[in-house]
Amino acid sequence: MLKPLTLFVLGLLLFRSSYGQQTFPRNGVYDERPGRYAFINANIMANPQTNIPNGTMLIEDGVIKAVGAKVPIPEGTVQIDLQGRYIYPSLIDLDSDYGMPAVQQPERGRGRQTPQLESNKKGAYGWNQAVQPEVNAGSIFIPNAAEAEGLRKLGFGAVLVHAHDGIVRGSGALVSLTDEAPTQALLKERASAHFSLNKGSSTQTYPGSIMGAVALLRQTYYDAKWYEGNPKKEGENLSLKAFNEIKKLPAFFESTDKYGIMRADKIGDEFDIQYIVKGSGDEYQRLEEIKKTNATLVLPLNFPNPYDLSDPWDAELVSLTDLKHWELAPKNAAMVAEAGIPFALTLSGIKNKSEFWKNIRLAIAYGLSKEKVLEALTIQPARLLNVEKELGSLAAGKMANFLITSSELFAENNIIYENWVQGKRYVQTASDRPDVRGVYDLLIENQPSGKLRIEGTVDQPTFTILMVDSSKISPKVSLANEIITLSFKPKKEQAQTLRLTGWRTSKGFKGEGVAADGQKLNWSAHLAETYVAQVKSDSTKATDLTVGPIYYPFAGYGNENIPQAQEVLIQNTTVWTNEKDGIMENTDVLVKNGKIAQVGKNLKAGSGVKIINGHNKHLTSGIIDEHSHIALFAVNEGGQSSSAEVRMSDVVNPDDVNIYRQLAGGVTASQLLHGSANAIGGQSAMIKLKWGGSVDDLLVPQVKSIKFALGENVKQSNWGDVQRYRFPQTRMGVEQVYFDHFIRAKEYAAQWKAFNNSGKKGANLAPRKDIELEALAEILSDERAITCHSYVQSEINMLMKVADSLNFRVNTFTHILEGYKLADKMASRKIGASTFADWWAYKMEVKEAIPYNAALMYHEGVNVAINSDDAEMARRLNQEAAKTVLYGGVPEEEAWKMVTLNPAKLLHVDDRMGSIKVGKDADLVLWNEHPLSVYARPEFTMIEGAFYFDRQMDEKKRADIAQEKARITQKMLSAKDQGKATQKPTNVQPKMWHCEDMVGMDAHHGDH
Amino acid sequence: MCQLLITSLFLGMAMAQNPAPGRMAQGVVTLKGATIHIGDGNIIENGAISFLDGKLTYVGNANAAPGGTVHDVTGKHIYPGLISLNTTVGLKEVASVRATLDYYEVGDINPHIRALVAYNTDSEVIPTLRANGILLSQAVPEGGIVSGSSSTFYSDGWNWEDAVLKKDDGVWLSWPAYMSTAINAQDLSTLTKKNEQRQAVVELLKTTFAEAMAYAQIKNPSPVNIRMEAMKPILRGDANLYIRAEHAKDMIEAVRFAKEFNIKKIVIAGGDQSYKIVDFLKENDVSVIVNPTHRLPNNADEPVYLPYELPGLLQQAGVRVAITYSGEWWRTRNLAFLAGTAAGFSKMTSEQALQLITKNAAEIAGVDQEVGTLEVGKHASILVSTGDLLDMRGNGIEKAYIRGAEVKLDDKQKRLYMKYQEKYQAK
Repeated sequence: MLKPLTLFVLGLLLFRSSYGQQTFPRNGVYDERPGRYAFINANIMANPQTNIPNGTMLIEDGVIKAVGAKVPIPEGTVQIDLQGRYIYPSLIDLDSDYGMPAVQQPERGRGRQTPQLESNKKGAYGWNQAVQPEVNAGSIFIPNAAEAEGLRKLGFGAVLVHAHDGIVRGSGALVSLTDEAPTQALLKERASAHFSLNKGSSTQTYPGSIMGAVALLRQTYYDAKWYEGNPKKEGENLSLKAFNEIKKLPAFFESTDKYGIMRADKIGDEFDIQYIVKGSGDEYQRLEEIKKTNATLVLPLNFPNPYDLSDPWDAELVSLTDLKHWELAPKNAAMVAEAGIPFALTLSGIKNKSEFWKNIRLAIAYGLSKEKVLEALTIQPARLLNVEKELGSLAAGKMANFLITSSELFAENNIIYENWVQGKRYVQTASDRPDVRGVYDLLIENQPSGKLRIEGTVDQPTFTILMVDSSKISPKVSLANEIITLSFKPKKEQAQTLRLTGWRTSKGFKGEGVAADGQKLNWSAHLAETYVAQVKSDSTKATDLTVGPIYYPFAGYGNENIPQAQEVLIQNTTVWTNEKDGIMENTDVLVKNGKIAQVGKNLKAGSGVKIINGHNKHLTSGIIDEHSHIALFAVNEGGQSSSAEVRMSDVVNPDDVNIYRQLAGGVTASQLLHGSANAIGGQSAMIKLKWGGSVDDLLVPQVKSIKFALGENVKQSNWGDVQRYRFPQTRMGVEQVYFDHFIRAKEYAAQWKAFNNSGKKGANLAPRKDIELEALAEILSDERAITCHSYVQSEINMLMKVADSLNFRVNTFTHILEGYKLADKMASRKIGASTFADWWAYKMEVKEAIPYNAALMYHEGVNVAINSDDAEMARRLNQEAAKTVLYGGVPEEEAWKMVTLNPAKLLHVDDRMGSIKVGKDADLVLWNEHPLSVYARPEFTMIEGAFYFDRQMDEKKRADIAQEKARITQKMLSAKDQGKATQKPTNVQPKMWHCEDMVGMDAHHGDH
Repeated sequence: MCQLLITSLFLGMAMAQNPAPGRMAQGVVTLKGATIHIGDGNIIENGAISFLDGKLTYVGNANAAPGGTVHDVTGKHIYPGLISLNTTVGLKEVASVRATLDYYEVGDINPHIRALVAYNTDSEVIPTLRANGILLSQAVPEGGIVSGSSSTFYSDGWNWEDAVLKKDDGVWLSWPAYMSTAINAQDLSTLTKKNEQRQAVVELLKTTFAEAMAYAQIKNPSPVNIRMEAMKPILRGDANLYIRAEHAKDMIEAVRFAKEFNIKKIVIAGGDQSYKIVDFLKENDVSVIVNPTHRLPNNADEPVYLPYELPGLLQQAGVRVAITYSGEWWRTRNLAFLAGTAAGFSKMTSEQALQLITKNAAEIAGVDQEVGTLEVGKHASILVSTGDLLDMRGNGIEKAYIRGAEVKLDDKQKRLYMKYQEKYQAK
């Protein structure tokens, strides 16, 4: 194995000067060399599909000249006999911050800071600090020798670097991991463009939410397009200019969870860009939808440690989601591959980088093919950067970036000996070390004899001396090249140390030693038994590779199979039709194809129809919550006094357990509203509570509405004195926000109308597209409905007058706790109300709130709904509706409509929801009691003919959770027994949102 | 100063007056013909109830009822006045206005702080509670580790001195939580994990209680320590030690702690996980005032209805349990519906659920000699409801008596209701 030639080469390389720097002055004489090497007898993995056993690779001056079984070797070539060792293309990472400046995360004081409305970046740049297309990774790249060494050790040869900071992060650069000059390392300056929805180091208040970040990015695309027409008004905007340059590059989008992939892709679709999305490792939870995006992913290999579940009570803290994720995370890449989704793998996301190979092997053990791994770390990254002609595989003409390894790259005991970058050799593990493993007869002059046992790895052999008296000694040993040194105490009880130095012979070792008394002596060690590798159990093989089912959503109470519409006949029950038939006793309802097919007596069921006995029970249409903030990743974009541009549909979270909890309270649909941080909030999203469905399955796109807000939140009066900056601070100012925005929206609409009628074409001539004003213009054209958070009469009156004067309509006043004072004015304008049954006293503007509000408005002819604004109250909205009977005597049938038909009307979905009528969606609840009774509970909750909740199913799910938790707990306990590092039990719960909550706000400002 | 004046003037004007307290009835009063819910699980159909000088003199069949001033309440339902424990009513008015908040004192060890003297009988919230049947409220200080002592008040009276039924019924202690929760400032999510900092608090409590015990042995302490004085009633066994704790381990540890100091009357307030340790609670004779059960489960995997089921689970296991709205003072008017929901979602009957807010609550607060059930000799603290008090469909307080005085059921909200009915009728 040992070759004098390699020694010679190493010496040569140490003195090799940098090449190619034509413009740089030299200290000393020029030292240009051909850099011609031939690697013979190599097992070459030229690319994931091509293996050349016993092949030759010829390189010259940093470039591969030839690869093949028979390659003629020209004169003047350094030949390296690899004797069956392996050559692989070196790895490429697409998500690196190597050589990038550290990102400063600013302290976000949860609202304890005065808003910063403008960018802190000085110069002729754009308005938002989180949009930095002008950042050029190539120009801020500073190689770091230690980091490069660390990456090369793992097998990387080139990495794509970018500044991981902001929403638009500028261009990325492809760099090699050479320690030559930066000019050498920089392979491609503008290799990529980078995006995220994380504002990073930006201290600017806007955007303060994910949906705000989406809106900002969308608007930036539109602005850049408009800027291409050189609008005089904008002047020279370096940010937009840079944006137009980078938007043609391969675009990478960093997401923080599986839903981020779909969110990014939706933005891409709007601008004809197919993002490459950096995933987070939970993709297996939503493969079907991810596949539909057609995005290529960049996947991390971040596998959580098992939890320490020794204490059964503490263990209960850990959610089933976290337990299951531990089990499934290593299988993620295999499942993504199986789903046919293209991907690259990245080192980023692994906290302890040394676990990279261990995790790769674990992923392979879980079914990821080695070809895929190699592809994902070599040719796939190269392809995504359009550099597959230069990098990612071994073929003539490509860059000489490759690894020399002891065995197959993914084998547990593989050693990366060398990592060649641009034709330069980096020794990662000295391969000049002789394999001296075996058992030797140790003979030392004047000393008792024994055996010297050498085991371990070639790289790190371990030494043991067994004396004849069967005592075991661990000597201190140094072994390099040909020379060995040993020192040890032959007798443990004595402090005398014997020192030996020697050299390798054909039979073992021999040399000279010095005894404790200074006497010189000869010694030798003769190989008696050659080393036989002990079959070491592969750690991944010891792992139990079975995994539990994927739940949709991936949480406790999730479904193994997403509920499907069934044909159902509910017989002989009391049916609350919400239609002119009123409450019908002893009636049947037939459900077919997700719709209500028939309502009547003694209906006939065909074969295969599920029959449910509804005797002594009540069947109603599902509850619709007009005002909800469940199933959302964020609620408020409070960075500006208008955020009409943001869409709640961008932040829908189908995994929120509150969906299930509310199904258990008879809710089937919810309008997810923006918060009340600003006068003009964001665009609402209506969902049906299809637990397990995708975001698109949940959304009801026909509902186009927007949240407005009045009162204390808008003027920021309860948020401390630091919030005395953003306009408006008074109800007087709020009026002017509306005038200002609607007048501008009118002008905007007129501009576009004129442009569209002018017959002119071409984006360059078009007015600037403004997604905020566009949403407001939709209100003016009656395409978008306003739901306005409101409390006291003065401001409610004000908004009605503003609307009158600008000729738009307020659809709904929500909360509307003083609606009873203005019910006549609302009724005459046909403005609906969506209120609480009995909330008050938590702040000044609810001091005159009364539980008779709903009744008074109802009696004045206002369409009244009862809403929740609260994840807890929403699951018993039937009780809240019942209070309108108690307070003010609303007839029971009408009270029931306040949580079903009336909100459906407010949302303009009463054509398909809100009552039990043939042809409407089969969104139904069967109650065990009168639905307005405190004792009522749903037997089942159905949406479009599919059972999303029923009591038996709930019992079973509870049992399943317990069983699945117990199973994984046992696995984690044995992982702990095996000595695996563990983490303490924790539980992370997302914020339960109310509309008052501000991202970046102290949440503890009042009880509601 | 000028600003302050204007502010207080404004507040003064905005607050309407509460109605005057009721006057004790003259002679025997009899309510006849109703279904009487005793509060101990029993019902008397076609019953009658009589009282004289503020005390019940007859509870039984209508046919044998004594005379006096007779009110025919046939078809109605009579209940004991509801008792709302662990609340901040009278101490809080408008949550977002600091000037109206008197429930949270500074300092860690505050046994000497008394809710009694801050209880505001003129709170506009109180009449809205009483109109829904809350005739007694226990006002409790929050804040610190030892928060101070609570008192239990009738929902009627000219001032706290008149209104109070039981002064300083116990001292409230917030046990350092075994699991602590931190909020992530970025997304406001919460992270719960084992609290590594709690031992210091446990040690502080050990020292405090040990020193209080030693102090109590001194006959004429000088100087007098008002903190230590305030601990005496719980050490003597005269007053309750209320311990706020949610996690099972916290409850066990806290109860064991209290037993170490020979504390006799121990009540757990909160008790989210109390269903896990019912045997322990029974063995140690510990009662539980559970958190508002109209709440969400504590984590994603918990059974969906567990909060609703919790009081029933305790009741069925034989633990004395009461139900409360704790800090949400104005929501207390829905107390009966918490009990109703508990009945709807567990194996409890409505009559058993009623005990959560009558008999059990009275026993816990130490006022069961006076109130909690309708028994001869107890205070005439009575509700007349249209129907089933625990159900929105039956709830409708038509009459209420406190110590034999008929209470006015008017409140600010009803006045506003009438005012605007007038507006629309005038059209």
